[in-house]
Amino acid sequence: METTESKIGEVYEVTVQGHLDTASSQAFEDRLVRLIEGGERHLLLECSGMGYVNSSGLKAILVGAKQMDSVAGKFVVCGLVPSVYGIFEMIGFTRILSIFPTREEALRQMQPDGAAA
Amino acid sequence: MHDGSITIRIGAAVHEIERLNRCVRQFGELHEVPGRTLYAVNLALDELVSNVILYGYDNPHGEEITVKVLVEGDHLHATVEDGGREFDPHTAPPVDLDAPLAKRQVGGLGIHLVRSLMDGMEYKRSDSKNVLTLRKKIR
Repeated sequence: METTESKIGEVYEVTVQGHLDTASSQAFEDRLVRLIEGGERHLLLECSGMGYVNSSGLKAILVGAKQMDSVAGKFVVCGLVPSVYGIFEMIGFTRILSIFPTREEALRQMQPDGAAA
Repeated sequence: MHDGSITIRIGAAVHEIERLNRCVRQFGELHEVPGRTLYAVNLALDELVSNVILYGYDNPHGEEITVKVLVEGDHLHATVEDGGREFDPHTAPPVDLDAPLAKRQVGGLGIHLVRSLMDGMEYKRSDSKNVLTLRKKIR
């Protein structure tokens, strides 16, 4: 798994590429927690390149979302491929996470004032 | 689909999971198992084998896990056998899918996925080994 990070206005975007699995999830979880502890309050996970996720990857995302929830920030997921979206549904994440089909919709929701995308 | 079986032995190490999934995928394609069935079986096996590697041993180094996949008629059976500490996944508490984010437990997701992805799961403890058999109707 590879991630790339960038900041767009207030939004901190983490792009996930590859498999978020047992081998890669702990470092990813630690990174999310550190970003929130470091003061990021608008976190976007762009997942269109994430072809596979297992429960350890789901746990990493859940830990990040809960941490962000506890500081009243925004934690948004976008671009899930259909097979991964199916897993998110199965585990009930579509009920508790903020999920958008595309990056553009996610950014629009996170930056209602229409800042640069 | 074509009937057949494969037995795969892997070391109890996280990097071995990818090799297991590759072997299962190749076997499945050779036996014309549909992609979505293979995806579900591979994810379920990933969950179970990950659990064994992470929690089954004091030290997993040198330990081995055996996975057998069998295609028979319109069903696929997958068996995971390990010499780790006794664990019957049926005893895992269910995940409360209705809990709000702040109250969602972060554990137990893997077993929930296995239960949801498969049509049946049987556990037995035999010769100091965990033997877990999954059943999935091929569709």
